[in-house]
Amino acid sequence: MKKIITFLMSAIMVLSLVACGSAKEQTDMEAVKEKGVLVVGITDFAPMDYEDDNGEWIGFDADMAKAFAKSLGVKVEFVEIDWDNKVMELDGKTIDCVWNGMTLTDEVKSAMDCSNAYCNNAQVVVVNKDVADKYKDVDSLSGLKFAVEAGSAGEKEVNALELECTPVKAQSDALLEVKSGTSDAAVIDLLMAGAMIGEGTGYADLTYTVSLNSEEYGVGFRKGSDLVDALNKFFADSYKDGSMMKCAKQYGVQESIIEQ
Amino acid sequence: MELMLEQFPIVVQSLNVGFLQTLKLFFATLIGAVPLGLIITFGSMSRFKPLSFITKIIVWIVRGTPLMIQLLIFYYFPGLVLGKPIWGSGETGRFFAAAVAFIFNYACYFSEIYRGGIQSVPVGQEEAGLVLGMTKSQIFFKVKLLQMVKRIIPPMSNEIITLVKDTSLARIIALQEIIWAGQAFLKGSQGISGAIWPLFFTGVYYLIFSGILTVLLGRLEKKLDYFR
Amino acid sequence: MAILEVEHIHKSFGRTEVLKDVSFSLEKGQVVSIIGSSGSGKTTLLRCLNFLEHPDKGVIRVNGETLFDAGDLTTQLETQIRKKRLHFGLVFQSFNLFPQYTALQNVMLAKELLAEELPDYKARKKEIHREIKEQAVSLLTQMGLENRMNNYPHQLSGGQCQRVAIARALALDPDILCFDEPTSALDPELTGEVLKVIKELADNNHTMIIVTHEMSFAKEVSDQVVFMDDGYILEQGTPSQVFDSPKEERTKQFLKNYHSK
Repeated sequence: MKKIITFLMSAIMVLSLVACGSAKEQTDMEAVKEKGVLVVGITDFAPMDYEDDNGEWIGFDADMAKAFAKSLGVKVEFVEIDWDNKVMELDGKTIDCVWNGMTLTDEVKSAMDCSNAYCNNAQVVVVNKDVADKYKDVDSLSGLKFAVEAGSAGEKEVNALELECTPVKAQSDALLEVKSGTSDAAVIDLLMAGAMIGEGTGYADLTYTVSLNSEEYGVGFRKGSDLVDALNKFFADSYKDGSMMKCAKQYGVQESIIEQ
Repeated sequence: MELMLEQFPIVVQSLNVGFLQTLKLFFATLIGAVPLGLIITFGSMSRFKPLSFITKIIVWIVRGTPLMIQLLIFYYFPGLVLGKPIWGSGETGRFFAAAVAFIFNYACYFSEIYRGGIQSVPVGQEEAGLVLGMTKSQIFFKVKLLQMVKRIIPPMSNEIITLVKDTSLARIIALQEIIWAGQAFLKGSQGISGAIWPLFFTGVYYLIFSGILTVLLGRLEKKLDYFR
Repeated sequence: MAILEVEHIHKSFGRTEVLKDVSFSLEKGQVVSIIGSSGSGKTTLLRCLNFLEHPDKGVIRVNGETLFDAGDLTTQLETQIRKKRLHFGLVFQSFNLFPQYTALQNVMLAKELLAEELPDYKARKKEIHREIKEQAVSLLTQMGLENRMNNYPHQLSGGQCQRVAIARALALDPDILCFDEPTSALDPELTGEVLKVIKELADNNHTMIIVTHEMSFAKEVSDQVVFMDDGYILEQGTPSQVFDSPKEERTKQFLKNYHSK
């Protein structure tokens, strides 16, 4: 029994040593060019990444990713991932980058190497329309029961203000909480709030009021990836020649774009 | 209500696509795990001690850990530890990884059911075959197999119905099965966002499919009712 | 020449020695009954004859041919043992019929599987099948089961099951037919029909070894009675010798216990 365990342990260690050795051989840029495709990890997140009627991925992030891949001379492949597993997807090399309106938090920056910020965002408070008038500033929020996505920027803000809150699995779940009345208010991304609530959506009776903070979006890569510099250069170029702004206008996010 | 009627065709189409993936995973698992389970049974019942020991350890590990973790390990482990993502990033790779994890997991459960089935056939059946000059394989196929099958159908039916619902675990590695498809409308997809009903509506698909399976398995059970 | 010779059989399970030097012989057409209390080794002896157990020591000969010799490994090859088993038939205490087959199929199955090994099987398939079926039908009729042939075992009474089991054993035409307490699992009112069938077989000169607790039946049907105790054959002789004037104290005690029941 002991011998078997010893054998298994040493086998695993040898395997991982071999793995460490071989991983250093190729940079990300070389790997992407060799396989001829940039694999972009996304979620369905309008207006940054979403599918058009033909099932093709479009959106501000998706279009920029296509342009970036083109500049590298490779094809682009969009892969829907589980947002909770984004770091594992990157490190497991099943995707090359996370490009999906990702807020640059300290956690994100410590787990990945990130591009320069390219888009502003804010965390906003979502409440029922009927009571929206009562909550116009931060001071009025005390006493409300909040629902926030666990680990999100919104949760951080709510905790900083020492408000009562329930962490849920996704921003959409936070909205569901408010709609079903199990929470009084939710804190979600401004861009998402713009797309998901109000007239013509399933959340027609919700609205957003107070902005809690401003934050910025970036693109995440594996630690030590040389694609970061390439993307920063691509951002600078496309900002200069106006193509980034043109793309932003197409999806209505031109107000939020950060100068490169 | 009006909104829901408007959304219905779009949602159903999307759920159908997701359910097709669910069905594919279900049948792939069944086709792979039913024979693999038998091989594992023979391994764990082997008189060669090291083989039966290792098989039992594997079965213990697979049955003793959540399928969700096994999915994560099967899909991410090659890339994370070996530096070589063998599955590929796209839908097909995720499906294969999920199918392999499911087949392996369910084969271990099936193997225990088979073992119970084999052991529940009285020793006298084998002895009667022996004294009548039958070979071991004739005894297995002509005498014991059908009795075994009869005994394992009820527990197998249970596992198979559980498998229908377990397929939803595959969304942890972003396999876009029906629950994933339903949830997409919560977050927003194809112009529909914040729609809650599609997620609950997926339950109807599961219910109908497991209903059909229950009827079919019940019929099979009845078919073997002619002996005891 | 004796049809069966058993010499110095020893058999242990772990540390328990169940058979301690058992020897006896049997002439063709003879019926021998083995009696003795539970645990005396009777059943193990039958199982050794049918190669369900391998004796640790000893020799078994049928018609002068050595089927088993504990000292000679070439007599213990699994492939040969299968053929050697066919010299013996065994009827179990708990019948062990195959539940998924009808009475008729139970009787036919083994013979059909053996027929597949015949060199001319393919050419004569239909004919062989017909012969096997005819034989099975006649055996079941002989057992008084002509109306029960297409019933499954669970539809039959215990006595009927045991008669099917006897027909199944006879189908392979064994040299020696063994019975392991054939009526012990039956209700008292059903033992009669089974004993009657065995009696008929004895009258037709079948060579048989019967392990039984039915003393009056053993007395009536046997040519020889063997009394076993604690792994030994303690006493052996004609029924009148063993039952009416036993020599050993242990035999007297055993028979007395039986009569007082």
